[in-house]
Amino acid sequence: MSDLLEFRELYKYRELLRNLVSRDIKKRYKRSVLGFLWVMLDPLLIMLIFYIVFSGFFKSTIQNYATYVISGLIMWQLFSQGTQVSALAFMTNRNLINKVHLPISIFPLSVVISSLAHFIFSLVPLFAIIFFSGTTLSYDLIFLPFVVILIFIFSLGISLTISTLAVFFHDIIYIYDVLLLAWMYLSAIFYPISIVPEKFSYFVFFNPVYHYISLFRAFLYDTSIPKTEHVLLGSLFAFLSLAVGLLIYRKFRHKIIFYL
Amino acid sequence: MNSIELQNISVSYRLVRERPHSFQEFVINYIKGKRTETWTLWALWDISLTITKGESLGIIGSNGAGKSTLLKVISGVLKPMEGRVRVEGTIASLIELGAGFDPELTGRENIYLHAAILGFSKKEIDAAYQSIIEFSELQDFIGTPLKNYSSGMVARLGFSIATEVHPQILIIDEVLAVGDAHFNKKSKERIEQFREKGVTILFVSHNMEDISYLCDRVVWLTNGKIQAIGTPEKVIADYLSVSAT
Repeated sequence: MSDLLEFRELYKYRELLRNLVSRDIKKRYKRSVLGFLWVMLDPLLIMLIFYIVFSGFFKSTIQNYATYVISGLIMWQLFSQGTQVSALAFMTNRNLINKVHLPISIFPLSVVISSLAHFIFSLVPLFAIIFFSGTTLSYDLIFLPFVVILIFIFSLGISLTISTLAVFFHDIIYIYDVLLLAWMYLSAIFYPISIVPEKFSYFVFFNPVYHYISLFRAFLYDTSIPKTEHVLLGSLFAFLSLAVGLLIYRKFRHKIIFYL
Repeated sequence: MNSIELQNISVSYRLVRERPHSFQEFVINYIKGKRTETWTLWALWDISLTITKGESLGIIGSNGAGKSTLLKVISGVLKPMEGRVRVEGTIASLIELGAGFDPELTGRENIYLHAAILGFSKKEIDAAYQSIIEFSELQDFIGTPLKNYSSGMVARLGFSIATEVHPQILIIDEVLAVGDAHFNKKSKERIEQFREKGVTILFVSHNMEDISYLCDRVVWLTNGKIQAIGTPEKVIADYLSVSAT
């Protein structure tokens, strides 16, 4: 009942959601000379670093190495930026939450949507790399939105969890920062999954982001990555994450204001 | 017709003498068997209040008496631990300077942001946009980032937004005394118009002149309880005689 109310409120406040997202995009690059171009330059430059450092090791095992890296990278950034920034979502908006009635889940939600917007812009450098490296696109390209929806749902669940818990325990923010670093190395962004030793393979198997990245690559260009397993596990993790996030948010929603 | 009904509202804040700020502290305290020492402060205790549509109600009391908490309960910011709240109609809050604004954005962008925070749709904001600018008299600055505004200008913009979107209930928490004399007069006139149009007004202030001028009825809060309720003359006189001692 009260969940339905929150959804209805979020819909009522959709203009605010739009404003929060556009503010985030506008502000992030407002003071820089190249401005909005950074959205596209950023993944390109990081990809270049990975390429220079690691292509010597992995070029022979991974076909289309540049495409492999940048596709993994922008998927990773969609997840990591969204969840990392939203850890602070309630605390940075404490002034507003204290003064005006709002469906407060709008704050973590808007951060994840901003991250999604950035991802969409970074498709430009992705397809530029695909074009210049001569990678053959897959016929399954139309399924890409499905993967993006999955990682979005997954990120939203994590965001709700982290942002709610961080209000009560600030340490979560620092713990999550470190966790993200480890998580990135377990997500097969710049190396092939075959180099992971047998005893660590469980980590990868239970890493949802790895499944989303693999699936994204599988639908994007011609690879031998099998899809079924990633579809099933990816969907499972997405809904599990959202369920946990909603559960935690619901439980603590009305207490948040007293701890801000 | 009632626009706001409060039944036996109680709100408590859990104050902690030594709250664990980190997980580590929490674990250590837990292992040591040291529970954090807390005590409960009842910011509002068993408040029942009915506000009829079109009434303007003043809320007075010393600092920490529960005035702002009461407004938070009515506007839905806080969920009371006990009691029932029923509110009929759209609420606009004149919130404190800056809370709903972003200094990096222009006046124009801030109008949309601030009005959206108050829960208004794009269509409603579009419709009110022109008159918001006119009332605030900020035509020449509307494309300038808000960080270059003076605090009086920001207050003018805030007042214009909250009142131009035609709320049915207007909440004013000690923000009238901003802006210059000219704008002050204008904003009081506007509130006066709201009263005539039948908008319910909740007004918290320490300025007894404003209270007696604007309100039909006054509630005096002490330590989260209603000390007195009645006509402005009577309640304000009692309040002042107690505060003077």
